[in-house]
Amino acid sequence: MTEVIVWEGWVGGLVIGAYLLFQWLVTGKTLGVSSGYNSVCSMVSKTDYFHKGIFGEANNWKLWFILGLPLGGFLSAVTSPGDVVMSFSLGEMYDSVFPESLWAKGGVLLLGGIMIGYGSRMAGGCPSGHSIAGMSMLNPPSILASVGFFVGGIIMVQVLFGIL
Amino acid sequence: MKKYSFLLFGTLFGFLLSRAGATTYDFYAKLFLFEDLQLLWIIATAATVGAIGVWLFKKFKVKSMMDQAPVAFIGKPNKPDLIPGSLIFGMGWGLAGACPGTVLAMLGEGKMGALFTIAGIIVGTFLYGVRVSVRQRKAAQGNA
Repeated sequence: MTEVIVWEGWVGGLVIGAYLLFQWLVTGKTLGVSSGYNSVCSMVSKTDYFHKGIFGEANNWKLWFILGLPLGGFLSAVTSPGDVVMSFSLGEMYDSVFPESLWAKGGVLLLGGIMIGYGSRMAGGCPSGHSIAGMSMLNPPSILASVGFFVGGIIMVQVLFGIL
Repeated sequence: MKKYSFLLFGTLFGFLLSRAGATTYDFYAKLFLFEDLQLLWIIATAATVGAIGVWLFKKFKVKSMMDQAPVAFIGKPNKPDLIPGSLIFGMGWGLAGACPGTVLAMLGEGKMGALFTIAGIIVGTFLYGVRVSVRQRKAAQGNA
């Protein structure tokens, strides 16, 4: 698995907070990732939900934003000291509780992904839109959603590492 | 032109998520087991910097460079699905050790498990859209 350089928490947070403000300053657009997946769905589905507002056209800024994210990950990997390794490893902790078979492991990740996708649409956002941008605006629903994200995460991981 | 610039913004944000440790699976498990609060510090510091910035933007009516208009800080609305949705999201977050943004940066780092998670997020988003559309159709039939 690729090992990337990780900054101290407060340094990373400071820089991400600065990024949030930089994006607002330059583009006027609020940071948010999860609705970008609507663009992907709009390419294969005629369902009205995926064609509202900026998603009337699949080619919109949110799509370009999420296409940039893997490039950023790649850039981070190649500028870290170790080799860039393509691997299905999930790191020490998750590998210790997940099934070893690739397809079973993939099935668990797929299920996790479905919950992430469905849950973020129900909640109207993910940690970038609710917890970083939303809490910066001191928006009460975003604060509530952020608490919900953490409670859900704690429940799942405590069960995963406690009982399994 | 404007929308294509977001490829660069996405690249920068993906890079920062990676350097922040948000693409490292172990940090998710350690966060929710209260062993290492790296990711909590990331969010708390980022939101604090953001809140100070938003206050300054509003105070000085800062205009965005592309729109030439003061930045509109529009918060997401509350809705009945917010709490159950955030709990479902959180459980997926803890299970997959990733979120919608970080999983894409993980893919770029060569963490191939991200392929399954990304497929799942697309399926989950799709299922939600279908549910909303079915509900709306039923409501429309009810009114007819």
